[in-house]
Amino acid sequence: MNPIITKALEEGRYKLLEHESFELLRQYNIPVPDFALVQNVDEALKVVKDIGYPVVLKVVSPDIIHKSDVGGVILNINNDDELKNACERIRNNIKEKSPYARISGFLLQRMVPEGLETIVGATKDPIFGHVIAFGLGGVMVEVLQDVSFRIVPITEDDARSMIREIKGYRLFNGYRNMLARDEEAIVYIITKFSELLSDNLNIVEADLNPVIVLERGKGAYAADARFIIGST
Amino acid sequence: MEEQRADLQQVKQVDAMVASPLDLLFNPKSVAIVGATPRENSVGGVITKNLLTKFKGKVYLVNPKYDEVNGTKYYKSVLDIQDNVDLAVIAVPAPAVLKVTEESIKKGVRVVIIISGGFSEVGEDGAKLEEELRRVVQNHIRVLGPNCIGVYNAFNGLDTFFLPEDRMGRPRPGPVALISQSGAVAGAILDWAARRNIGVGLAVNYGNKLDISESEILEYFARDNRVKVIVMYMEGLKYPGEGKKLLEVMKEVSSIKPIVVYKAGRTKAATGAVKSHTAALAGNYEIYHAMLRQANVIEADNITDAFDMAKALATQPLPRGNRVLVLTDSGGMGIQAVDALDMRGLQVPELSESLQEILRKQLPPLAVTRNPIDLTGSATDAMYKFVLDTVLPTSYADMALIIALMQIPGLSINLGNYIVEAGRFKKPIVVVSFGGNEYVAKFENNLEENGIPVYHAPHRAAKALWALYEYAKIKGVAKEW
Repeated sequence: MNPIITKALEEGRYKLLEHESFELLRQYNIPVPDFALVQNVDEALKVVKDIGYPVVLKVVSPDIIHKSDVGGVILNINNDDELKNACERIRNNIKEKSPYARISGFLLQRMVPEGLETIVGATKDPIFGHVIAFGLGGVMVEVLQDVSFRIVPITEDDARSMIREIKGYRLFNGYRNMLARDEEAIVYIITKFSELLSDNLNIVEADLNPVIVLERGKGAYAADARFIIGST
Repeated sequence: MEEQRADLQQVKQVDAMVASPLDLLFNPKSVAIVGATPRENSVGGVITKNLLTKFKGKVYLVNPKYDEVNGTKYYKSVLDIQDNVDLAVIAVPAPAVLKVTEESIKKGVRVVIIISGGFSEVGEDGAKLEEELRRVVQNHIRVLGPNCIGVYNAFNGLDTFFLPEDRMGRPRPGPVALISQSGAVAGAILDWAARRNIGVGLAVNYGNKLDISESEILEYFARDNRVKVIVMYMEGLKYPGEGKKLLEVMKEVSSIKPIVVYKAGRTKAATGAVKSHTAALAGNYEIYHAMLRQANVIEADNITDAFDMAKALATQPLPRGNRVLVLTDSGGMGIQAVDALDMRGLQVPELSESLQEILRKQLPPLAVTRNPIDLTGSATDAMYKFVLDTVLPTSYADMALIIALMQIPGLSINLGNYIVEAGRFKKPIVVVSFGGNEYVAKFENNLEENGIPVYHAPHRAAKALWALYEYAKIKGVAKEW
């Protein structure tokens, strides 16, 4: 079993912390923005030199599920002063809105360029095992249910056909003033994600949401990730 | 001496080809019916009558209640039968199944069909009985069922479907094989297929799936050369791990011959608290749909669709592309066909000016030559033949959808022969015919007997061509456009 998952299960958690999720993705070469877990402002000011502005700061807590709802996320931090401020503000927000939440630290994450938002997810079916989902982000996936599925393990060809199957696929080829998107980068992420799931049967559900797809040739990366784990 | 050696050789060869349990399930030389009875319209009675009258092999009747009925001997137990028994069909009340199965094992029977119900499908007590049965049979004998309708083999008359012949017609031998999760649905499908003259050579329903599963039957049908296309009616799987196995088997089988599946039970059932986006979106049907896509299976929207597609897949060559020649004597039907083809991603390309020029020289002035080619109400057999012979060899057509409304006076039964002859171009052809008179029926039968599928509506013919194109892509014969 992957040590990250072992540790979480030992601590009685059914959910990976954000930096653990990113770490797991990194092990499978799934691109994530540069990040670091820090405990305080001083550490944050130190590591930000490696990561580089602009950054996002997020609270890391085993007790908070929706970070933004409790003011646990601050975007677009551009310099040291703003970073100091952000740490302070998040602490105060949590104190006020979720006073009993344990704070494991702060995730400092590089603010990344915008692109086409997609979702790559997984769920574990009792009969079929892990099933991977792909769809466009936000409204498209939820309201229109414009999403395609495949059963793990999946090949590159499977991944390509599941991307082309969704109605929103036209956006990948460029539309009006939008540029064509890096489809192959998503094919790569989906096949690597399939490997990750094959190796880790304890993953019960997962969402890489959003996965940002840049212009053709420029790649794609998971900007946020959530893993729910179970004992089998 | 020489003779003896030859004999030995033969024995060795036979040894090397020991029939598999699935061979014995579909092609036994001898069958014992346990629970045989002369009582008409009982389950055992229908099976007894069917096998005695149709099965091209030996039939042994087992029932301790009888010694002999109408000159046919009844045995007290399979153990009393002197000869080999390849297959035992068990149709006795559930509590007696264990005992007769044990006797079959002792007799050396290698496969049984357990028709009897009263197992896991009826609740906890039945489930216990099924578990006991599982223990008894493990590694000793292969089982189809329990709670199933069994096997229909039109080639050798093996028919354990306990539905009387006057209630359920039996289809003629043919290239379609059916695997149905539901016994009742299987019976209704065969009845329907018989009436429509669709050749379903083999059909099977596996009931509670104690042992032999749809995966294993698929593998077997993949190797049976009489089967050209496999139609499957499925509701759902039940055992963990089964899904992946079926996916693997389907993938392999669909690379050999087409599988058409209709999966029933598509609506989403709410299942407990949902934590992630993905889990919320992945309904039961969505996962099956994904599995079928991944396995290169052609999915049908209903059972009629499945057979419409199967008819074409069983008889027609695969197209190299998606361009369709639409040839009609009715503009109205032609436009419906174009709509249906276009919705499925098939093209109806306009013919070149030079090709149209050739057509115009022979066709009446009112005929439309662009494609769809509309011969109008003044169409004749010869005009159809001329267009087919002129256009099918060109690159404008990978396949043909021919609409022939036989109500027109210029058309005769002979048109069917021209269409059959056009098969020499090795491009798929489907025909739309519509009407009710005897003449139409004759025309249709002639076509179908000669391997040209006929449909009663343009959209159904279009879907059949779509299935051919889909399978051509799967086989790498056609390119994606």
